[in-house]
Amino acid sequence: MKKTETEKNSVILREEVKNQIKEIDTADILIGIPSYNNARTIGHVVSAVQAGLAKYFPDKKAVIVNSDGGSTDDTKGIVEETTLDNLSSILLSHRVLSYHKIVTPYQGIPGKGSAFRTIFEIAEAVGAKACAVVDSDLRSITPEWVDLLISPVLNNEYDYVAPFYRRHKYDGTITNMIVYPLTSTLYGKKIRQPIGGDFGFSGRLASFYLTKDVWDTDVARYGIDIWMTTTAIVYDFKICQSFLGAKIHDAKDPGSDLSDMLNQVGSSIFTLMSEHQKKWKDVRSFEEVPTFGFKYAVGLEPIRVNTDAMIEKFSLGVGQLTEIWESFLPKGVMWFLTSAAEKGSKGFTFPDEIWVEIIYNFGLAFHEKIMHHDHIIKSLTPLYLGKVASFVLETWEMESDEVEDRLDSLCRAFMDFKEYIIERWE
Amino acid sequence: MNSFFDKYLLEPVTMFFKKLVQFMPNLLVALIVIIVGIIIANILRFLIIRLMKVVHFDKGCERIGVNQILEKGGIKDIPSHMMGRLFYWLAVATFFIIALNSLNIPSIEQLMTRFLLYLPNVFIAIIIIVLGYVMGNFLGRATLIASVNAGFPMSGPLSHLVKLGIMLLSVTMALEQLGIGEATITIAFGVMFGGVVLSLAIAFGLGGKDLAKQYLEKYFESKPEEPESEEHDDISHI
Repeated sequence: MKKTETEKNSVILREEVKNQIKEIDTADILIGIPSYNNARTIGHVVSAVQAGLAKYFPDKKAVIVNSDGGSTDDTKGIVEETTLDNLSSILLSHRVLSYHKIVTPYQGIPGKGSAFRTIFEIAEAVGAKACAVVDSDLRSITPEWVDLLISPVLNNEYDYVAPFYRRHKYDGTITNMIVYPLTSTLYGKKIRQPIGGDFGFSGRLASFYLTKDVWDTDVARYGIDIWMTTTAIVYDFKICQSFLGAKIHDAKDPGSDLSDMLNQVGSSIFTLMSEHQKKWKDVRSFEEVPTFGFKYAVGLEPIRVNTDAMIEKFSLGVGQLTEIWESFLPKGVMWFLTSAAEKGSKGFTFPDEIWVEIIYNFGLAFHEKIMHHDHIIKSLTPLYLGKVASFVLETWEMESDEVEDRLDSLCRAFMDFKEYIIERWE
Repeated sequence: MNSFFDKYLLEPVTMFFKKLVQFMPNLLVALIVIIVGIIIANILRFLIIRLMKVVHFDKGCERIGVNQILEKGGIKDIPSHMMGRLFYWLAVATFFIIALNSLNIPSIEQLMTRFLLYLPNVFIAIIIIVLGYVMGNFLGRATLIASVNAGFPMSGPLSHLVKLGIMLLSVTMALEQLGIGEATITIAFGVMFGGVVLSLAIAFGLGGKDLAKQYLEKYFESKPEEPESEEHDDISHI
C-alpha cells in the first residue's frame, strides 16, 4: 500500500522507471550510482557493485540504480551493458544473481543532490531495507565496499554508514582543515569523512530525507554529502563508519576552481549551522563513532606540494583583501595575518587557535549576512592556503598516524574555542 | 488736491487692501495646508522608520555596503532614520507645492508645473547613481576576490578599474536622464571608455604575445605537452 502511494506521489520518476518498479515490486538492497560523463570509470564501479552483491548478499533481492545527469559520453550504455561474465574468478561457488538495474536520467536542478533524490525515491518505492551510494569516478572500489556499507544497516540496525578511507596526508585538505574538525565540534560525532561521497543508509533514513524540503536549494546541487551526514546526526539516527581502504578517484575536472570548491562546502556547512543552532549549541564534547571493517595500511601515491606558491597567494590575499576581512575578523587576527605575510615562507606558521578564530568568524559573518555569501567564503581561499601550507611544513616528516593525531589536536582546538562562537551567535 | 490724493494715494491703497482681502483666504488655506502637511509628514516619518525596522532595512543596507558609503561620507545616521527623513521632506515638499497652488498666482503655478514635470527625472537619476554605486562596489569586490584567488598581482587596480567604470557609466546615464550636456557626456564617456579598452588591449597584446604564440602553436601543431613545472602541485582539496 505504502509502495503504491510513493509511486503515485512521485513527481520526479519517469513513466518507464515507474513501470520497472512495478515489475521489481520489492527489494532488500539498493545501490545508487550518480553519474555525469563517467564513461571511463563507471564500468569498474558497476562491476565491483555486482560482484559485491553476488559475494555478500546472494540471497537478497537487489536493485542497482544509475541516476544520470544527462551524460554525453557512453556512461548510460556502459552501465546497461556491464555484466559479470566470469563470476568463478571472484566467487568460490556459483551463485545465481538476483538483481535489477535501473538506468534513468534524474529530473530537477542539475547536481548530485538531484541524482540522490531519484535514488531515494526508488529506494522508497521498492521498500529497500538497506541502501548505499557510491561515486561513479572511483578507481579503488572493491566488492567489499558493498558489504561494508550495507551490512551495518542490514545486520546491526544502523541508519547511516559514513565512509572511512585511508588517504594521503595531503589528500582532502578541505575535509581535514575545515569539514572534519568543524562538523565534529559542532555536532559532537567524530565522523572522519563527512563529505566522503560513498555512504550506506537505511530505507527509513532515505524516506526521511525525502520528507525534507531542500530539493530546490544548494543541497540539490552540491551540498548533498554534508547535508546527509548532518541530517542523520541532528535527527538522532544511529550512525557508524566503515573502513573502506584507499580512495582513489578519477582526476577532477581541471577547471574546478579551489575557491568554488570552498564556496560549495563552506556555504553548505554554514547554512546547516544556522538551521541547527539549537542542536550544536548544547554540544561540549566529542563522541567516538563505531567503526566497522579491518583497518590496514595502504600504499598511496606521493603528492607534490608547492608550499611557496601557497604562501605567495596567502601574502597576496593579505595585501589585497584586508579591507574585506577587517569588517568581520578581530584586530588580533588581522595583526597576525599582516605579520605572517611580511615574514614570507621562512619559518611560516599558522597556529590552530588563529585558524579556529578565523573559521568561527567567517561562520558568524555568513550567519549575519555581512555581505554577499559568495564574497565571504571565496575570500577565505588565501587564508585556507596559508593554513594548508603551514600544515604541510609542520607534518612533512610525519607518518599518517602522527598526522591523524595532529588533526585530532586541531579538532580539540575547535572544541576549546567553541564558547567563543556560542556567545556571539544570535 | 483732493482728486490728486484720491487718485495717486487712496485708490492704490484701497486696491491693495481689496486684493489683500481677496488673497487672505488663499493664504490662510495655504498656511493650513502647510501645517497639516507637517503633521502628516511627521506621522509618515514615524511609520516609515517602524516599517524599515520590521523589514530589517538597516541590516540589508549594511550587507550591500550602504552603511560604509555613509560612514565614508561622514554621515552617522542609520539608513532607516534617513529614509524616514527623506519621506518627511517629500511629504513637506508635496504639501508646500499644494499650498503654493492654492495661492492662485499664475507665475508660481507655471514654475511649479515645470518643476513637477522635471522631478521624475531627478528621482530616476538618483536611483541610477545609487544602483551604479552598489553594483560598482559589488562587482569591484567580486573582481578583487576572484583575481586574488587566481594569483593576479594587479588585483587591486583591476578591481578599482571595474568599480570606477561602472560608477562612471551610471553617472553618465544619470546626467543623460537629467538632460545635462547629453551629447558631450556620451562622447566623452565613449572616448574615455574606448581609450581604456584600447590601452588594455595594447598592454595585454604586448605583455601576452608570447603566451598567445605558444597557445596557437600548441593548438595548430598539436605539439606534445611540455612536462609540468615544479610549481605545479597535486593536492586534492576535497
